[in-house]
Amino acid sequence: MAVYKADAIVIRTREYGESDRLITLFSREKGKLEAVAKGVRKPKSSQRGGTQLFTYADFLLYRGKNLDTVNQVQAKESFVHLWNDFDRTIAASCMVELLDVATTREQPEPELFFLTLSFLFWLKELDPYIAQAAYALRLMHIQGYLPVLDHCQECGKPLESEQSFLCAEAGGVLCAICKNNRVVKTLNPGSRALMKQLLRAKPDKIDRLRWNQSMKGEILGGLCFFCEQKLERKLKAWRQGSKL
Amino acid sequence: MDFLYYPQPLADLIIAFSRLPGIGPKTASRLAFFLLQHAEDATQLEKAIGDALQNIKQCSVCGNYTDSDPCKICDSERRVHSLLCIVEQPRDVVALEKTGEYKGLYHVLHGVLSPMEGVGPEQLNLSSLFGRLEKVEEVILAVNPTVEGEATALYISKLLKPLNIKVTRIAHGLPIGGDLEYADEVTIARALEGRRPL
Repeated sequence: MAVYKADAIVIRTREYGESDRLITLFSREKGKLEAVAKGVRKPKSSQRGGTQLFTYADFLLYRGKNLDTVNQVQAKESFVHLWNDFDRTIAASCMVELLDVATTREQPEPELFFLTLSFLFWLKELDPYIAQAAYALRLMHIQGYLPVLDHCQECGKPLESEQSFLCAEAGGVLCAICKNNRVVKTLNPGSRALMKQLLRAKPDKIDRLRWNQSMKGEILGGLCFFCEQKLERKLKAWRQGSKL
Repeated sequence: MDFLYYPQPLADLIIAFSRLPGIGPKTASRLAFFLLQHAEDATQLEKAIGDALQNIKQCSVCGNYTDSDPCKICDSERRVHSLLCIVEQPRDVVALEKTGEYKGLYHVLHGVLSPMEGVGPEQLNLSSLFGRLEKVEEVILAVNPTVEGEATALYISKLLKPLNIKVTRIAHGLPIGGDLEYADEVTIARALEGRRPL
């Protein structure tokens, strides 16, 4: 079919040509898609609102030889709360960047679609960076590379109140004896426990979870390190976010 | 590759054109052939590019492109020096100047914060901003109303807050001649927020 519909979230936008925008969509039906939205940088474009970053919309796309084109777009949710808050914008950028890097084109992933949509809504209430960490853990769980946090991946020793070391190569944490000279990130027991809660807790419970600056740095830094190693791509927004 | 069939200088010209934004290989070869057939236009283009590269630089004060440093706007005594408008690109200065409504100074960021593209504050022309705020009473944030633009505006306003300078954001709303039916919810919400009595 030359024309098709997509119920999708805009996960990336780039300026393209004179007044066009190249947008990456994550759709319920077809997974990740890329399309050109023509003339949307002009003030009078009727598609301007629907093609903004993070917008959830109904798209009508035309399949082109090289690139698909946006024919029509009807925005369903613009997530105004993300526009008005710097930290929420950064957290949402980190989430959609991870989604973009972790998925391939036209591979339907409905579970990831609902996860992303839910977290964009929940960002209105939740601490943005706790939400970012919870989202990353759940995405890794769906994709099948969630780090094992209970026991040392090398010797199998249960890790309870001792310091552990996150290692992407091992697929989880290592104890102090097994880490040797591997590239690792330190994870203290408190951070490990919080990560387990972030993975399982319902949104109203996530809102009650708290972390201090050092746990925040450890968890977000550890997740960025683990995902970058696993996906073999740099997470630019995650790196920028930690500096801002 | 078609380039194998072209003489080397012509292939180089086509490749050079195709590096320009919005120009694909077909357009690049059409432009190259046009210039070969119109030597006078080609000479003028060569001179214009040479002159621009030699004479245009960034203003050390505002960051806008200029042939004199500081630029005419920064140097003008007729401009209001207590008013500073921050824009994304030099093109935005032209858009604001065309209105004839604004008489203050400008500061060009040369981009906006875009974490996903790896653009942070250090990639923007922000460091020179703080050195020129002594006489400024109001900073107008005229970056584009996109998610990245809003994030940049929020970031700059956070930096300026301790300096006790009035920080304003240009109004958002419906474009003249636009249709309410096609406006998105963010635009309508902002238009309602910024309504004013008649």
